[in-house]
Amino acid sequence: MRTDAHHPDPDGFYEAWLDALAGLDAERAADLNARLVLLLANQVESPQVLLDCIAEAARTGTR
Amino acid sequence: MSAAAETFRFAAPYELPRWPFRAPPDLGAGERIRYSVVICGGGLAGLVLACDLGRRGIQAVLLDDDDTVGVKGASSRGICYAQKSLELFDRLGIWERIRAKGVTWSVGRTMSGADEVYRFDLADTSRSEQPPFVNLQQFYLEWFLVERILGDGVADIRWKSRVLAVENREDHAVVEVETPEGRYALEAEWLVDATGANSPIRNAMGLDIHASKSVDRWCISDVRFAHPPAMERRTWVDAPFNEGRAVWQHLMADDVWRLDYQMSPDADPESISRPDVVGARLRAQLGPGVDFEFVWIGPYQYRDHLLDSFRAGRTLFVGDSAHVVCPFGARGGNNGIQDSANLGWKLALVLEGKAGPALVDSYDHERRAAAVENLKVTARTARFLAPRTAEEHRVRRAVVDLARTHAFARKHIDTGRMAVANAYPPSPWSEAGARSVQNVAFDGTTVARALGEGGTRFLGLVVARDAAPALAALAPLEARWPVAFRAVDPRSPLALHLAVPEGALVLVRPDAYVAATLPDARDAAAAARALRAALALDAEAA
Repeated sequence: MRTDAHHPDPDGFYEAWLDALAGLDAERAADLNARLVLLLANQVESPQVLLDCIAEAARTGTR
Repeated sequence: MSAAAETFRFAAPYELPRWPFRAPPDLGAGERIRYSVVICGGGLAGLVLACDLGRRGIQAVLLDDDDTVGVKGASSRGICYAQKSLELFDRLGIWERIRAKGVTWSVGRTMSGADEVYRFDLADTSRSEQPPFVNLQQFYLEWFLVERILGDGVADIRWKSRVLAVENREDHAVVEVETPEGRYALEAEWLVDATGANSPIRNAMGLDIHASKSVDRWCISDVRFAHPPAMERRTWVDAPFNEGRAVWQHLMADDVWRLDYQMSPDADPESISRPDVVGARLRAQLGPGVDFEFVWIGPYQYRDHLLDSFRAGRTLFVGDSAHVVCPFGARGGNNGIQDSANLGWKLALVLEGKAGPALVDSYDHERRAAAVENLKVTARTARFLAPRTAEEHRVRRAVVDLARTHAFARKHIDTGRMAVANAYPPSPWSEAGARSVQNVAFDGTTVARALGEGGTRFLGLVVARDAAPALAALAPLEARWPVAFRAVDPRSPLALHLAVPEGALVLVRPDAYVAATLPDARDAAAAARALRAALALDAEAA
């Protein structure tokens, strides 16, 4: 799992993500995020990287 | 709109064969008679073992408390038999009857609403003489097995013989039996418990089975159509005609279909299985004008359990007595059959003195590992079909939504991963683990037929254009150990299936699993080492 910053356009990605969620209620936004996770997961070759990302997401967060 | 309530009818019940109780020599004998193998329970696993042992020249006694096949007559049980089971039935000599009576299929489609979201064709990866699956009511299969056993005239099936008690001793077990003409006790060098999920033998031994029960509730409706629908397996993740819940549609012999409906977890089992309620559900699915009659209706909840060890002293547990999984992917009955296929040759060789007694322990090692794997796979299916929380529903919704348009997402749709011949983990008997070999044709015969000849023995396959030097080097081994060597053309379908480099020796066990692959078939010493390990003879050789 990569955790170094290597995205060429972090602000652009953030904005595009928010734009996709704009106007959706919490349920539909959560549905979109779930589809997004599936699509992104399919870009990853390594099963171990996926498991590491799941574990890292579960471990982090401030609430 | 109101209409007169439709009335639904039931088909005439199946007439199953009955076999008579015959007083065994044990009744009235002064002393207990000792038998090499006693099998308790005449279901799939018990009958397969009795039949397999008989064909290996080992006479088993099979005790069954009934006098017929099936449970509750023509009721629900297994319907779907996987290739590895069908290949075994070829060796046992009942494949042609199964093929003729059953329904061969390979295509499965999964629907969400009216859309197909997943499809498989299992024929794509098969090189076997047998198809990926045949569907057939379980009682037919048991019927064919009984007739095969009676025709072979080796195993001794004792009907109306109920096991009252079992006692494990040092080198045998004592079994008390109740019959219409009185009680008797017999001794078994090896006792096999094939009495099913509620095994009284296992329960009396106080063994923990780690049972759990699902809240997911289903209702089976076996239905005979005048004009049956298409011959393919269909599953719905969320059927509009079943309040957005899952539905299974599976075909069987005699134009009977199994329609299995997922119900609300809080549904009342009695009301959901009333013929008028089931009939209305079917009508919603089929539309008006489709003529059908019920064969059987039954609500159920699934459960699972797994014994810590499939052996307790001289008692071995096969089939549902040892393990029960959720009923997805045909991993129940097929694994009971494979338990017996795994055990039969091992018992035969140990009883013949050709293998070390430790070989029996490899049964627990291999088949318990298979059960653990099947438990994991079916639990995943159960979780896909019955999401436990709103978030689990959300993830499934994301998968199903994407699957309508994206092939990759279809791989996540899990309405049952069909039974496979489980690979076995590395062991003292098989250093690299053991994988299954399909029943591929070669050299005028097939793997299963070659394994069925000449008693219980291994098949050593020399994959080489010129196999003569290797066959000459290996020939002396045939006199010492139960093995026969054969040449396989490296360009043949069997060689492609085995996928080994040219010049290799593939040592195939009597249950059509690879015990070892050796890179140089001419190295007879290496072959001897692998054989001794596979036969648990290492202690003796050391």
